[in-house]
Amino acid sequence: MAGSLTEAVRRGPAGGSEPRPAPAVVRLLLRVAGVVARRALLLAVLLAFVFAAVELLPGDAATATSERGESAADLAERRHLLGLDRPVQTRFWEWMTGLPTGDLGTSARGESVAGLLDRPFPNTLLLGGLALLVTLVASVALGCWAAVRPGGRTDRAVSASATGVLALPEFVVAVALVLVFALWTDWLPAVTLTDADGSPASWEMLVLPVLALAIPQIGWNVRIVRAALADEAKAPHIETAVLDGLPRHRIFTHHLLPGALPTIAAGLATSTGMLLGGAVVVETIFNYPGIGSVLAGAVTDRDSPLIAGVVAVTGAVITGVLLLADLVRAWASGGRS
Amino acid sequence: MTVAAALSTRRGTVLRVLPALLLTALALAGPWLVPHAIDAPVTAPYAEPGGDAPLGGDQLGRDVLSRVLAGGRELVVTSLLVAVLVTGVAALLGAVGALRPAVGRFVERAADVLMLLPAVLGILLVTLSWPDGGRLAVVTAAVVLGVPYAVRLVAGAAAPVAASGYVEAAAVGGERLWYLVVREVLPNLRATLLALFGLRFVAAVYLVATAGFLQVGPQPPAADWALMIRENSAGILLNPWAVLAPSIGIGLLAMSVNLAAAALVPATGRKAVPAL
Repeated sequence: MAGSLTEAVRRGPAGGSEPRPAPAVVRLLLRVAGVVARRALLLAVLLAFVFAAVELLPGDAATATSERGESAADLAERRHLLGLDRPVQTRFWEWMTGLPTGDLGTSARGESVAGLLDRPFPNTLLLGGLALLVTLVASVALGCWAAVRPGGRTDRAVSASATGVLALPEFVVAVALVLVFALWTDWLPAVTLTDADGSPASWEMLVLPVLALAIPQIGWNVRIVRAALADEAKAPHIETAVLDGLPRHRIFTHHLLPGALPTIAAGLATSTGMLLGGAVVVETIFNYPGIGSVLAGAVTDRDSPLIAGVVAVTGAVITGVLLLADLVRAWASGGRS
Repeated sequence: MTVAAALSTRRGTVLRVLPALLLTALALAGPWLVPHAIDAPVTAPYAEPGGDAPLGGDQLGRDVLSRVLAGGRELVVTSLLVAVLVTGVAALLGAVGALRPAVGRFVERAADVLMLLPAVLGILLVTLSWPDGGRLAVVTAAVVLGVPYAVRLVAGAAAPVAASGYVEAAAVGGERLWYLVVREVLPNLRATLLALFGLRFVAAVYLVATAGFLQVGPQPPAADWALMIRENSAGILLNPWAVLAPSIGIGLLAMSVNLAAAALVPATGRKAVPAL
């Protein structure tokens, strides 16, 4: 406490003689670089954590795929083939340095994890990306609609249904959607058929999986949008704008929404992880050709290197989205911290 | 607030907590109410409802009603266990974090890192790396993944308490850290901790049910709602109830628990967005 006080006193009068601050562009670049470096470091820590989890928990890829009656020598042989007999530091170094180059390690069956994921993963990203888009549009629209008249009938109905759906597991939503839209009314297909290059054959097959993923997240984000708008509405500059007699829609689009934007972006960024995790579940229901179907095989094989690779790739994607949210916040705050 | 208003608020809270309590009790008592054995066929596979089996048969012809009654206990018990553990660990760590800022910063960073790991993938990572872990693996994963967020919430609520005069007085008086945490800080966070427990139960139901659906939780022939949905989805056209009934079970449990958790959030610190 005393240290910071003397610091402030020393700085106060000497402020004029300090070197001039760097130009705005340099400051902005430094700021962006700092944000990127911080996110990259967090991702690296996650990857180390993933390696440690696979390493420290009992059982490894060689025992997981062992068949009954297999001798210890066979096991040691496969452990050698998979490179599991080398020192742990070597394998950790290889895993960490391989990741940035796209090498995600070797699955328990001895295949390249990157090779197993390179076709399904874009499909999962498409599914998750569409669900995120639907979530964004629906939650901002519903949140704004509810916020127009706080405490009104619309507000209560929207908020109550949002609370109702946000805790539902995706597979329960998916079952309900399949029953209603595929089996009873026959409007949309219940399973995804793929064409020759392994992607969904038509857009209709994406509708139900995207909805099953998006509905719980819409519930979650509607509440965030609604709360962010309510917080922002209490800010003094909104009152000033109202007293100045600006039209309501202009206050909404030019004063209220920009202020609430960082919170909304952060909420959506949080949803990205839920969407990618939920995609694994939803894909198995709709037989969608994404990482979910790859992981369903990993469950039967107890293939831990494969799931570690999937976690690494999704971690990188979520890092990217969080980075965007960071930049939105930096942009919206206009250089103020 | 008048006495009448306080009473009516309290009655409102009770009314909103009640469905969750009833459903939890029913799920816990369910295995004693089953009309048929849960592991022996009584009908043809995917038989339609009727006669002896009011909800029809499942993929092996076992009674769906019996399996639905029996299939909620494991989910509820595991979720309650996860919620209790997460709340307990988070309460201690959060209070310590509020009293010792270095610990608080460490937990903050841990939450930032875990944000990159979707809970569903985290639970798969742990259960696949630990094939013999069984229920313990699911509980461990759910606790590890849930604690950092919960600590954040507790630390936020504990910060003003930790800065208050009587805690400072006790600290200056030479009381040990555990005494400050257990006797000075935590008793003042009862309302927050109760709400946190509710929110963690919601999150645990989601996670444990999803683990069951991904076949890394209970294994066949166990009766489990999430596993039933997975096993019987092939016959959804023949006997929809084999899938629909457990879905309704999980859906109602998730919704009622969420309703209760929302009602438990203290009115003064109530935010529209509880941190799950």
